[in-house]
Amino acid sequence: MSQKSDELKIYWKKIKYAFPILNNTLPTECTDQEYEEITQIIVGLGIQVKIRDLVLVHVEKYLRVYVAPSFWSKFTKVEEDIKAFQLFKSAVNDLYDSVNQFSDMLRRLKHLNNECCDNRPIFGEKDVILGFKQLLRATLLSQLPTTYYIIINHFYELSFNVFDNMKSSDMDEDICLGCWNEYSECNCAYIVKVFYDTNKKLVELQLLERLAGQVLTNFIQKKIEVHIRKICTGAFDVSHMSHLEDWLDTTVMTWLTRIYSAGSSQAPPGIKYAITKFKQKLSFFLYQTYTKLRIDQLFNIIIEYPDSQPAIDDIKTCLESTNLCPLLCKKLQTALETRLLHPGVNTPDILTAYISTIRALRHLDPSGIILETVTKPVRNYLRNREDTVRSVVSSLTEEGTGSELAEELAKFAAENDEDNEKEEAWDDWYPDPVDADPRRAQGPKGSDIISMLVNVYGSKELFVNEYRTLLADRLLAQGDINTEKEIRYLELLKLRFGESQLHFCEVMLKDISDSKRINTLISQDKNFAEMNAKFSSNAMILSAQFWPPFKDESLELPEEIKQHLAEYTKAYEGLKGNRTLSWKPHLGNVNIEIEIGEKKLDLTVSPFNATLIMHFQNKPEWLLEELHDIMKVPMTVLRRKITYWQSLGLITEKSSDYYVLVDGSEANKANVPSNQVQEMICEDEETESVMASAHDQREGELQVFWSYIVGMLTNLDSLPLERIHQMLKMFASQAPGTECSLNELRQFLDTKVRTHQLVLQGGMYKLPKL
Amino acid sequence: MAQNINPHYASSSNPSKQNEDTIKLKDNHAVSKRLQKELMELMRCADKGISAFPESENLFKWIGTINGPLDTVYAGHKYKLALEFPNSYPYAPPLVKFITPCFHPNVDTCGLICLDILKDKWTALYDVRTVLLSIQSLLAEPNTQSPLNQQASCLWANQGEYKKYLDEFYNKHKDL
Repeated sequence: MSQKSDELKIYWKKIKYAFPILNNTLPTECTDQEYEEITQIIVGLGIQVKIRDLVLVHVEKYLRVYVAPSFWSKFTKVEEDIKAFQLFKSAVNDLYDSVNQFSDMLRRLKHLNNECCDNRPIFGEKDVILGFKQLLRATLLSQLPTTYYIIINHFYELSFNVFDNMKSSDMDEDICLGCWNEYSECNCAYIVKVFYDTNKKLVELQLLERLAGQVLTNFIQKKIEVHIRKICTGAFDVSHMSHLEDWLDTTVMTWLTRIYSAGSSQAPPGIKYAITKFKQKLSFFLYQTYTKLRIDQLFNIIIEYPDSQPAIDDIKTCLESTNLCPLLCKKLQTALETRLLHPGVNTPDILTAYISTIRALRHLDPSGIILETVTKPVRNYLRNREDTVRSVVSSLTEEGTGSELAEELAKFAAENDEDNEKEEAWDDWYPDPVDADPRRAQGPKGSDIISMLVNVYGSKELFVNEYRTLLADRLLAQGDINTEKEIRYLELLKLRFGESQLHFCEVMLKDISDSKRINTLISQDKNFAEMNAKFSSNAMILSAQFWPPFKDESLELPEEIKQHLAEYTKAYEGLKGNRTLSWKPHLGNVNIEIEIGEKKLDLTVSPFNATLIMHFQNKPEWLLEELHDIMKVPMTVLRRKITYWQSLGLITEKSSDYYVLVDGSEANKANVPSNQVQEMICEDEETESVMASAHDQREGELQVFWSYIVGMLTNLDSLPLERIHQMLKMFASQAPGTECSLNELRQFLDTKVRTHQLVLQGGMYKLPKL
Repeated sequence: MAQNINPHYASSSNPSKQNEDTIKLKDNHAVSKRLQKELMELMRCADKGISAFPESENLFKWIGTINGPLDTVYAGHKYKLALEFPNSYPYAPPLVKFITPCFHPNVDTCGLICLDILKDKWTALYDVRTVLLSIQSLLAEPNTQSPLNQQASCLWANQGEYKKYLDEFYNKHKDL
C-alpha cells in the first residue's frame, strides 16, 4: 500500500513540477521532453480532466490574487498628465509581461486539454488561450476601481494633444504645444512611440475596447465640445461647418484609427467598418453640439444679421440632420422674452430686433413655421405697447440709410412690378415640415416685413391714422417743409395701404402748398399790407375735416395780434368766398427780437412764450393770477412756461407767483446761458406732439359704440360678446373709423364692467339695474 | 273717431298693405337706409325714457323700451314694445304693440294700441322716435272716450284706485 502512495506522491510532485501554478508560481525548468513524460503519466492515471480543472482553478486564483490587484494598484489619482501617462504605460507593460509568463504553461495546458477529449468549453471558449484571455478580462474587470478612468483619460489626452499639434506645430513658439516642453526637450516622439506600443499591447490582450472604449467616447465628445467652443465663440460671420467636419475627419478619426489598428494609419477591414460606424455617431454628435451652441447664441446671431448669415447657414444645415427644431424655438423664444420683452427696452429697439428676427428666420426656414412660433410672444407684446405704431410709422418714413423699414418700403415698391413673374414660380413650392401646426393659417408665406408689422394689430387703419398724426406733427413743426419728399413717401405708402386710406394725408399735403400760395396772395393784398406793416405773418390753412384732431389748449393772444389775425381772416374771406378761418392760437412759431439794455436776442418761440413776454413789454411786473386772467391759460401751465424766460435771465420770480422783468442793466449782469441751453429748452417744448394721440382718438371712436351698446342692451336685455360685435358691425358701421375687432370690443366692454356701467353675468353683458 | 277703429281691421284694410309686395323689391334698400339712419339718430340723441334697437339682424323688427312718464301713475314702470316695419315704410306706419302687458284704457289685452298716428294720421314725417314719444305721452293721457280696455277706462277717474290696481298688474306681469 505504502508503495502505491509513495508512487502517487512522486507523480504529484512531477505534476507540480510541470504546472508550478499549483504552488502559485509561474517559472519552471520543466523541459518539453519531461513534460511529455508527465503527460503520459497523467493520461495513464486517467486524471487528465481533473488535473486540467485543478490547474484552471489555480490560474484563476493567481490572477485574482496577484495579477489584477497589481495592475489596478497603478491606477491612483494623479493630476499630472505625464505621470499618469507613465503609470498607465507601466501598468499595461507589467500586465503584458505577466500574461506572457503564462504562455509556456498555457501551451502545456492546451496540450493536456487535447488529451482530455471531452470538448468541454473553457470559460466559454473552445481554445485554452482564448479562455484564458476571457478569464483575464473577467478577473480584471471584476476588480475595476471606480476611478480607473482618470489615468486612462490623462493618457489619451496627452497623446491626443501631441497628435493634434503634430502637424500644426508652430516653430515660432519656444514650447512644443504637444507635450508642453521646450523644443530641445520635446517628448512628442517618445510619447507617440509609447502610445502606439501601449495600444498595441492592449489590442493584443483584447482589453482596449473594454478598458478604454467608454473613456475614449467620452473623451472625444468632450474634445469636440471644447474644440467647437474654442472656435465658434463670438464670430458669426464665418461658416464653421466644413472646417469642423474636416477637423473631425483628419485629426480625430486618424487618431482613432491609429489607436485601434495599433499604430498604422490603415485599419484592417473589420475595424474600419466599426470606425466608420463610430464616425457617424461622432459626426451626429458634432452637429448636435454645434447646433446647441449656436442656438444658445441665436439671439446675438439674429441681432447681427445679415452679417451673421454664415452662422445661420450653418444652423440650417445642422437642423436638417438633427431634430433640434423644437429646442431652437423654445430657446429663442425664451431669449427674446428675457432680452427684449420687458419695460426696460425701447420700442424701436424691439422693432429692430423683430425685423432682424423676421429676416434671419426667413432665411433659416423659408416655410415660416419657426418664425411664426417664435415671434408670437413678440407680436403679443408689441400689441400692448402704446408707442409701437408710432415707432413703426416714424421709422417707415425716416430719412437716411439707418432705417431698414424705409428701405423695405422702397423695395416693396420695386418688387411690386415683378409680381407677375412670381406667380409663375409655382414649381418652387415645397410642403410644410411635418411638425407644422395644421391649424396655422395658410398665410401668405412671402408676406414681407412691413405687413408682418402691420399685422401685429390686424388692421391697416390704425397705422394709417398714426401716420396721419405723425405727418401732421411734422408738417406743423417745420416752418419750411419739403413737401416733395413727403409726397414721395406718401406715394410709397399708397402702394401698400391703398389709395383711399391715405386720401386724408393727400389733402393735408395739399393744404400746405395751398397755404403757401394763399399767404403770398394775401401779403400782396394792398389793404392788408398797409394795415399790417408792423409785422409779417404766415398762416397754415388746414382743412379741419381732414386733419387729425388737435389737442385743445386755450390761449388768449395779445390784442394787437388778435387784430392782425382778424385782418388776415378778412383778407382770406375776400379771397375765398363762403369760407372763413378759425385760428388755433396755441400752434405755430413766433420769431421775436428782444432788446433789453444792450442785449439783443433773436429767438424762435412758441406763441405761449411770445404772448407771455409781450405782456411784460407793456408792464414789467405781473402777478401770476393777472397773467392767468389775461391769457386764459391755467396757472400750472403758466408757471411751467415762464421758466423758459427765467432760464434766459429775462424774468425773475421776486416773491412767490410774482414775476418781474429784469431791466437792462441787470440783464447784462445776469449770467446769460449759452445758446445750447436755449435750444435745449426750445426743443423740449417742440417735441411735445400737438395732436391728440392715436390712443385718445380711438377712445373717442369707441365712445360712439357705447350709445349703440346701451341702446341694444336696454331693449334686448342681455347679449353675449359675439352678438354685440355682430350687431355693431351691422348697425353702427356708418360711424367714422369704426372698425373694431372682437378683442378690442372685449377690452372696451371690460373697462365698462370695471366702472360698473355694465354687468357681465354668465358670458352675457347687461346693463346694471338702476 | 279714427281712434276707435279696431286695429286688426284697420291694419288689414290699410291700402298700402296690398301693394306692399310690389314696392318691396324696389324700395327695400331705401327702407333699410332710412331705418339705419333713424337708428343712428336715436343713438345719437339718446332721449331719456325711450329707446329702441333692432331685435336681431333683421332691420325691420325692432324692440322698443318706454319708461313710464314721471308724475303719472305709470312712473317707475318700464314697458317693452315690438315694432315691425312694413316694406312700404315710411309711407305706411309701423306695426307697434306692447310686449310687456300694459293696463291702459287704449291698449288691449294682446298689447295692441289704439293711437291715431299709427293709423290714419300717420305721415312719413313721423319716425321711431316720435312714435315712441307719442306712446309715452298716451300713457299719461289716455283717451277714455274710445277705450279698448273698458275696466281701465272706468277706473281711470279714480287715480288712487287705478294706481293700486296698475301696480299690482304691472308687478304680476312685468317679467313675462
